[in-house]
Amino acid sequence: MKAFTYVNAANEKEAIAALQSAERGRMLPMAGGMDLLGLMKDYIVSPERVVSIKGLDQTIAAGDGGLKIGAAVKIADLAEHAVARKMFPALVTAAEGVGTPQIRNMGTVGGNIMQRPRCWYFRNEEFNCLKKGGSRCFAVEGENQFHAIFGDGPCHIVHPSSLAVPVIAYGGRFRVAGPNGAREIDAGEFFQLPNANLYGENVLQPNEIITHVILPAPGQKSASYEVRFKQSHDWPLAAASVNLVMSGPTVKSARIVMGAVAPIPWRVPAAERVLAGKAITEAIATDAANAAVAGARPMSGNKYKIQIARTAVKRAILAAIRA
Amino acid sequence: MARKKRTHDESRRDFLRTIGAGAVVSASASLATPSDATAQQAVATLGPGEVPVTLTINGRRHQLSVEPRVTLLDAMRTRLEITGQKRVCDRGACGACTVIIEGRTYYSCSMLAIEAQGKNIRTVDGLANGNTLHPVQQAFCDNDGLMCGFCTPGFVMATVALLEKNPNPTPEQAKKALDGNLCRCGTNIGVLKAALAVKGGIRG
Amino acid sequence: MDNRSPIPDPRAPQVAEVQAPARPPQHEKYPWPEKTRLLGTRVSRIDGPLKVSGRAKYSYDIVRPGMIYGRILRSPHAHARLKSIDAAAAEKAPGVKAVLITIKPGDKVLFPGEEIGALAAATEQQAADALRMIKVEWEVLPALANVEQAMRPEAPQVFTPANTRKGTAQEDGDLTAGFKSAAFTVEGTYSTQVQTHTSLETHGCVCEWNGDNLTAWVSTQAVHGTREGFAQGLKIPQANVRVITEFMGGGFGSKFGPDMQGLLCARLAKAANAPVKLMLDRKEEHLTTGNRPSAFAKVKAGVSADGKLTAFDATTWGTGGAGAGSDYPLPYIYVFPNRRRMHTDVYINSGQQRAMRAPGHPQGCFVTEVLMDELADQVRMDPVEFRLKNLPPLAPNAMWAKYFPIGAERINWKSRHVTGDPTPGPIKRGLGCSANRWGGAGTGARAHCEIAGDGSVVMRCGTQDIGTGNRTIMAMVVAETLGLEVPQVTIELGDSNHPFAPGSGGSTTAAAVMPAMRVTAGKARDALFERIAPQLGVAAGDITIGVGTVSAGGKTITWRDACRMLGTVPVSVDGQWERGLSAGGTSGVQFAEVEVDIETGITKVKKIVCVQDCGLIVDLKTAETQCYGGIISGVNYAVFEERILDRNTANMVNPNMEWYHMAGQSDIPEIDVVLVDQPERGVIGIGEPPAVATAAAVANAIRNATGVTLRSIPITPDKLLTELERAGGTN
Repeated sequence: MKAFTYVNAANEKEAIAALQSAERGRMLPMAGGMDLLGLMKDYIVSPERVVSIKGLDQTIAAGDGGLKIGAAVKIADLAEHAVARKMFPALVTAAEGVGTPQIRNMGTVGGNIMQRPRCWYFRNEEFNCLKKGGSRCFAVEGENQFHAIFGDGPCHIVHPSSLAVPVIAYGGRFRVAGPNGAREIDAGEFFQLPNANLYGENVLQPNEIITHVILPAPGQKSASYEVRFKQSHDWPLAAASVNLVMSGPTVKSARIVMGAVAPIPWRVPAAERVLAGKAITEAIATDAANAAVAGARPMSGNKYKIQIARTAVKRAILAAIRA
Repeated sequence: MARKKRTHDESRRDFLRTIGAGAVVSASASLATPSDATAQQAVATLGPGEVPVTLTINGRRHQLSVEPRVTLLDAMRTRLEITGQKRVCDRGACGACTVIIEGRTYYSCSMLAIEAQGKNIRTVDGLANGNTLHPVQQAFCDNDGLMCGFCTPGFVMATVALLEKNPNPTPEQAKKALDGNLCRCGTNIGVLKAALAVKGGIRG
Repeated sequence: MDNRSPIPDPRAPQVAEVQAPARPPQHEKYPWPEKTRLLGTRVSRIDGPLKVSGRAKYSYDIVRPGMIYGRILRSPHAHARLKSIDAAAAEKAPGVKAVLITIKPGDKVLFPGEEIGALAAATEQQAADALRMIKVEWEVLPALANVEQAMRPEAPQVFTPANTRKGTAQEDGDLTAGFKSAAFTVEGTYSTQVQTHTSLETHGCVCEWNGDNLTAWVSTQAVHGTREGFAQGLKIPQANVRVITEFMGGGFGSKFGPDMQGLLCARLAKAANAPVKLMLDRKEEHLTTGNRPSAFAKVKAGVSADGKLTAFDATTWGTGGAGAGSDYPLPYIYVFPNRRRMHTDVYINSGQQRAMRAPGHPQGCFVTEVLMDELADQVRMDPVEFRLKNLPPLAPNAMWAKYFPIGAERINWKSRHVTGDPTPGPIKRGLGCSANRWGGAGTGARAHCEIAGDGSVVMRCGTQDIGTGNRTIMAMVVAETLGLEVPQVTIELGDSNHPFAPGSGGSTTAAAVMPAMRVTAGKARDALFERIAPQLGVAAGDITIGVGTVSAGGKTITWRDACRMLGTVPVSVDGQWERGLSAGGTSGVQFAEVEVDIETGITKVKKIVCVQDCGLIVDLKTAETQCYGGIISGVNYAVFEERILDRNTANMVNPNMEWYHMAGQSDIPEIDVVLVDQPERGVIGIGEPPAVATAAAVANAIRNATGVTLRSIPITPDKLLTELERAGGTN
């Protein structure tokens, strides 16, 4: 990687002050470093300045019936947190599945949300793809077996954050801080499709950082289901998180979000509508799953992901209800 | 060793699991003031050239000078000749560089040396007691959990961390703890046997 | 590229025609003992403590005074012509001590990563920075990214004289008659993927000159071969070159010479007048250090109504990269009395193949074994019964008829449903089987043994321990011969200053080296007896060895007391490989049990049973581990690994260990190994045999579980789901 200056920001204010540049990529925050260092070693990003944000809030605090999770919380700590495990099983399942023990020990919640795509064209210097300012998405006519089955391009990445999916399912928000102060953003509005933002994946400005993930009270039943090929260490082929508010044995309202299928975590209202007002059976879960993938637009090599995504949704619903 | 003075509200932070943030601050810098967030602030920066760094490895302190971009792994291997952990993928995917810090495993290829200060970093080089192997090391030998040996330091450290936290793991628990390490020779059968063979706990 | 790997001739006759004798001639003077004390037992690796403690020094770990770091400049393009290159900025960059440019304008490159220069600087960071200062301009040319592109009539002609090289048809018997007598035929196209070796320690070395003498610490499987390679490549005498490899982090067939990086490293060290360490990074390793070629086969085969194979006709092709071959043995093992096979090498713009663990055999085994299950289904025969009916005659190197029943029992083959697990639900279980053969005959090692007056024993041999446990079995043979325990023997290997031994490839090392150990230790023992006989007052021929003792004329003394009689002049003898202690030709079978989730296409390999022989087993523990290792590589071949090239640019899209999938701990099946000892045959190698048949067994098990035939590995979820959908649904 190229040389850089390093700032050890003790807290939010110092971090924002150090990330003074609004020019994309010139100054970058580093949480655990798992993602950023890899990008830098491959010369995909070469910031002049790296600002460590390990000094951000590392606590998990109960409040308003939910949880306020500091962005600097390690994924391993989230996965082991007793209250999180009890109240937000969909989030903990996703946290337990991130990477490997070493990655979970180092990686942070905020870092996981802010990860850049794993797309192998994005991550290979030899391909000057759209997202890097080039003129084409190489996946379109290339090797796209791990790319998106939703979204109309022009870039076909899948969003790599495992945690973003249940956060949206739980109706979570991000507290974001920048030079103009702090605000909260609905997680469902945080991520941006490529046709809205090609060079990034979310609404953050270069000199802003996520400081907290805020989760409201969860529904009574929730679960995540992730499908991976390698069981040891692999990116999901598809994932789904389901958050159900129940009225007795029937679903009052549902939030269903899919991961690893689109450039943003993919919420599927059509599937949610199938569940509303019903007592869930395998048949109804199957109907919802079919509705979830009805709008899929696969690429030349990833049609199989539709079946996997459908299965993830179905099994997440059944896992939620059987929990 | 020097720790940067924190001037702001600390009550909500839990530093217990922070990876060493005791970087040396360059003398001329002043810290950001909250009242003028938008103006260009004088910010304490390190590098890009070499900066003094103190690493505590296997209980010994080492003073060295490295650029901020040098990883903990490379600092150990190329500046300190501590070569037990290996560089294999350099991207946090294979585990050959695994070290233990406060009971947890980390990929040392994916940590900056300057961020590894302030805590004791344990590598395979420090496990044996003279010529007496650590029980995990002995178990690897007895159960043939090694072949070429290049992945072995990483697997040994992952196993030590597992057993210090969970002295009697089930096979499933052991496998999950070892899932961050790869072996090309295919020693996983012996590795798992070794991990499950160490009885009676081990001291951290 | 320097490719010295010993690739067995894939057109070698089927084993049916080359049968091993039941009992080969035994060595006259130093045969293996009838009753062994150490041989065949489980002994822990003697270098285990060094490896588990991090004290073992690999090439990557070597530090020399004043050492600087080298990096290679490479083409980013698969096919391009150089327009210009300007290294002026790099030459002046901080810390840079030497720059070499090995390409000139007008030269072409033929694969991504091809070497075009190198430099060395004081730190790795300076070397990396300086490399990026070199300005290179290319004319990018159309690249061939896969065999389909290369075989199209309208493909650009990238290679000379052509993008393909058609072999000659090999025919045996009467194909027409064979198909006429077939009651059923199966036709299909089968394929296997390109794999890269992915050794954990990358290729590379530390080179240090002392005047005209070069010492190189190289990660290699062949210290002598690499010494020769340096000498030839640098045009210096072999006597001036010393190659040291005490420990190396895996080779699997890809490390037999200095390669470009070694020669560049040596030249940089000369130019910089400083030792240079040049180790490849992971991406370079994937791109430029070899691979297993892909294999395609369009096959038509016939079987009679009573289940005898009658005919086999195959057109095959594959790619070994830029200008390199891809042949493999086919058909594999089973007797097709009438057959024809025609292979075409197809060249593409990718790194060239090198021998990779049992070159050719996993490919031939996969194609043949999947076909065998398909043929068995046609005649409604159990796959094991079908195989037993079509095997070559039983012989010491062709023992499948005995091994299949053993394996079948251990995997509970009786529980196998016919095809397609009828159990309701998405999880389907299945069983499959396959057979393997391999050579493993080695010759030619030399050794030197010293016995000192304090009883210490040193055996020196210029062989290598590439992770196989060679050191340990060497010590065991010496200890067995001298009546000692393993810790009393010091083995020195991995140095070209030691007596010549061949490179460690082809599973030939045990067979090449153990006889040299037996003979040399035997000669050392006899020399000891000659020396002490006068002091004992007996004839040398009357002295015998016990366990830690020496006896003569009714008296027994300790080994130490015997050696003390040597005084200050040690016993010092040379010896070498001799006939009668080793052989070639192994056979084995494997069975696989899998669990397939048909709603996701995810396969979990649950269990592998392996029945394998390797002649006389020296260390049972390390031999078992070799089997585990080979089997795991076969699981990877079946479902995980694949070198993936972008079809438009031919660049590899997964040159890392994140997307080049390899099994982790939770992906490893239960493995049950039955090693069959054949002491009467002598020592035979075992590194490659267990790596051959696993993928075929897994593929057949997946077929058994799901009821769909997959003729292409790796069997990834996309392939499985596509076939399941084609067969009528996944739910």
